[in-house]
Amino acid sequence: MATNANRQHDFIDTRMLARLSGLGLHARIPMLGSVSGRHRSPIRGSSLEFAEYRKYVPGDDTRRMDWRAWGRSDRFYIKEFEADTNLRLCLIVDTSGSLNFAVNGTAKIDYMKSLAGTLAYLTSHQGDAVGLYCAGQRFHTEIRPKRNAAHLRLVLDKLADMKAEGETGLDEALHEAAESIGQRALVVVVSDLYIEPAVLNRCFQHLRFRKHDVVVFHLLDQSEVDFNFDRPTRFLDLEGGAPIMADPSLIAQQYQQAIADYLADLETVMRDAAVDYHRVNLSDPVDEVLARFLVGRKPKTKN
Amino acid sequence: MVPRDLNANSMTFLQPLILIALPLMALPILIHLINQHRHRTVPWAAMMFLVNAKRMNKGMARLRYILIMLMRMAAVGAVIFAVSRPLASGWLGGVGLGKPDATLVLLDRSASMEVQDLQTGESKRSTALKKLAELLEKRDFGNQLVLVDSASGQVQLLESPRALLELSMTAATATSADIPGMLEQGLAFLSANKSGRADIWICSDLHENDWAPSSGRWAALREQLTPLKGVQHYLLSYADQPAGNLAVRVSNVVRRQRGNRAELVLDVLLQADLRASQTSGTRRVLVEFEVNNVRSVVELELDRQGAALLGHRIPIDGKLRSGWGAVSLPGDANPLDNRFYFVFSETPVRNATIVTDDARIGEAFRLGLAIPAESDLEQTAQVIASDRVGEIDWETTGLLIWQAPLPTGLLAEQLKQFVTTGRVVMFFPTVQPQDGQIFGAQWGSWQQLAREEQRQLSWWRSDADLLARVGSGDALPLSDLRTYRHCTIVHPQPGRVGAPLARLANDVPLLLRAPTKQGAVYFCGTLPTAQFSSLQRDAVAFYVLLQRALANGSRALASASQRDAGPAALSDRSSWEVVAPSAGGPTLSQRGLHAGVYREGDYWAAVNRGPAEDDTQTVPQATVDGLFEGLSYRRIDDAVGDTSSLASEIWRAFLIAMVLALLLEAILCLPETKGANAPSRNAVSTPGNVQQAGSV
Repeated sequence: MATNANRQHDFIDTRMLARLSGLGLHARIPMLGSVSGRHRSPIRGSSLEFAEYRKYVPGDDTRRMDWRAWGRSDRFYIKEFEADTNLRLCLIVDTSGSLNFAVNGTAKIDYMKSLAGTLAYLTSHQGDAVGLYCAGQRFHTEIRPKRNAAHLRLVLDKLADMKAEGETGLDEALHEAAESIGQRALVVVVSDLYIEPAVLNRCFQHLRFRKHDVVVFHLLDQSEVDFNFDRPTRFLDLEGGAPIMADPSLIAQQYQQAIADYLADLETVMRDAAVDYHRVNLSDPVDEVLARFLVGRKPKTKN
Repeated sequence: MVPRDLNANSMTFLQPLILIALPLMALPILIHLINQHRHRTVPWAAMMFLVNAKRMNKGMARLRYILIMLMRMAAVGAVIFAVSRPLASGWLGGVGLGKPDATLVLLDRSASMEVQDLQTGESKRSTALKKLAELLEKRDFGNQLVLVDSASGQVQLLESPRALLELSMTAATATSADIPGMLEQGLAFLSANKSGRADIWICSDLHENDWAPSSGRWAALREQLTPLKGVQHYLLSYADQPAGNLAVRVSNVVRRQRGNRAELVLDVLLQADLRASQTSGTRRVLVEFEVNNVRSVVELELDRQGAALLGHRIPIDGKLRSGWGAVSLPGDANPLDNRFYFVFSETPVRNATIVTDDARIGEAFRLGLAIPAESDLEQTAQVIASDRVGEIDWETTGLLIWQAPLPTGLLAEQLKQFVTTGRVVMFFPTVQPQDGQIFGAQWGSWQQLAREEQRQLSWWRSDADLLARVGSGDALPLSDLRTYRHCTIVHPQPGRVGAPLARLANDVPLLLRAPTKQGAVYFCGTLPTAQFSSLQRDAVAFYVLLQRALANGSRALASASQRDAGPAALSDRSSWEVVAPSAGGPTLSQRGLHAGVYREGDYWAAVNRGPAEDDTQTVPQATVDGLFEGLSYRRIDDAVGDTSSLASEIWRAFLIAMVLALLLEAILCLPETKGANAPSRNAVSTPGNVQQAGSV
């Protein structure tokens, strides 16, 4: 349990951490942190990075006045610099029963733990804050972002204890997170997203309104898309709903059509809400997924 | 041509027991249910898509699956049907699956059944026989296969359907048919053999004369057949009549001797099909005469009814006292009515004997009989008293007028023998009626007619027999006949009522013909003298009546006679020699049934088809159907020369159906090509490819 300080977390692969440690986690938009850090901030600060000139107004600190500019133009300008701040990573993980879906022994919940845990570890080790929000049938766990090592352990313990059960409460969780998390945080959602795209659209638009940088890891295995069954099958609802008896030869085409429509709608939703969307197959190694994710977010150099 | 049926189409099977396996058609459903039952359970996350898929599956996809199941069932069914060897025969539907105990074939062998299809050369009879034989070979005809042919009227057991094509009892004849009589024979057979389920096949051309639809025998037949629930009647009907068929008939053949020269005088009648005359306008036909191997040809012009060549003279050798000849037409649809045989001999002296005790009455008869109608005829009339009947020359007498107490005992037997040799007897009442009966009749009492009834004959038969119209078509002047007194004719035996030829105003028969197989027996209820009637005074009708009776009776005296083909045409077949046709003549058992010339010693007989066979009148189909009302009956309208089978095996069609069903099933099972929206494997397995679109 979380009280055990020496608790091992199997879902964290140290070799994977070693490979990914060189790649920093960057935000795509300026973040609002509580302390100084390595990420851009929307407010001006005292870093070495020049930001802009602005006209002097009475009350400004005269030490920040650019005298050379006054000498050239006989006008007073205040020279402003970028402020570096830390990043608040808010992991919102889906803990509905459907995360128990497993392929070749790998369950979505385990994959999710590995992905979220690794990301939390990497974030914490670059000095940023990590928080965890579990979206089960009820929004039952909320760990606000903090940046100390003990907090990371708390997050990892919570991930370790996490069980997938009941129906999903992701839409409620996203709305509540949008409201409760302060503006400009990095919100990472890990879920199978078995929610109507129209509902998700409202959730992500809410997060976008709050100026969060939203990342979605969509856990969807290829077998769920292909629906390759050769005989009548009784499908047990992992979220506790009524089982469905179906002949795949009869409904495979309709199923594939339904999931294709869903994915198309989902892509539109993600595009409209400017979500960094990653569809993840359970057969894909976690480090590859994270490496692609981290590399993709790396800021471009000025040259 | 495919036989048409009055009823709905259906099938019969050569291996009907295999149809027990028809429930195997449910095999695909059973397999489907078993598959449903042995399902596996899978934990599944994407339930929302399953629900959507099932909702979408309610439409076309479900229909497609149902079609697939139906195709599979159809394939299984088609295999079962094919193995059970179905027969394509809509009209056999009522046969059911059980085999009959007996199959009776009632074959109309009448001359009219020999109408041929000129292209195939098949006649109605041969077409029917071939089809029937083929059908009965294919399906089980039961324990007994029975032939009832119209010519002999006999019941014949056959070993196999093939015999229908080989037996002489199914060959063409010049006879007429008696369909009710054949049905009676069949019914008697069924009753005698206590047959349960039986199929009765009637092959006929619906000739009205053969069917006699107005006969009361049909009602009796229906009454007897109705209780026999297992008897199925099939009528293989060939009612179509050929257009343009000509039939030739010869009558009134007389040999006339003039010194050393002799000639034949005969009437030739050509009967044409009215329909052909309407369409083809004037038509000429060559008629060939053959007498004593000498041939001559006469060209005749046909009108709507045909043509008549009356009094045609053919010179012959004066020394040729008797012989035969034939009149032929060019070939047409019915070869059997294109040739007519005739025979001739010296005209015999026509002798009449009048037995009466009343001299005046005897004289009245003698005057009417002694004067010949034609100058070259020789006639005599002898009046003898009733107590001198022993003097009657039975051998040379053609007509016997009996106006005396009815004979009894040996004399009666002698009189009956006289009639069976083809002679004619006319009975007239005595003034004082006596007891006694003969030929099923006896005299009643004399009745005095009221004045207003004396002049009236309410009816007389003008189409045939003694009172028929004359050759010009005019009726005999019987409307002027007065009958003052008449003696009633009583029938002590109800079953032997004669046929009236004339009735008085009060519907009492005045002239009646008693039923006899040979010869003729007439009863006249009045006397020719003025006290009783005006017969002697209005002598024309009386004279014609007597002359006709004498001519008929004297015909038996000639050494040649024309006869209608039939079992009774030649009394002792073995004693007759076939003269014509010289080649391929009929077998002994078939003599008298085929047209030809036969000879027994010095006696010649020409056998031809009966006059009714030239009549093209057929019974309307509705009338025929009505004859079988209440019975299990199907009519199959076929056409002469039609080569299609009554029942052909169609298992190949079922195999093709099976292949088609399987092909359709395979097509329906083919997965549809994925549309543009279908998710690809790469779309899922390559994280981040959507990321580009969503990047800020």
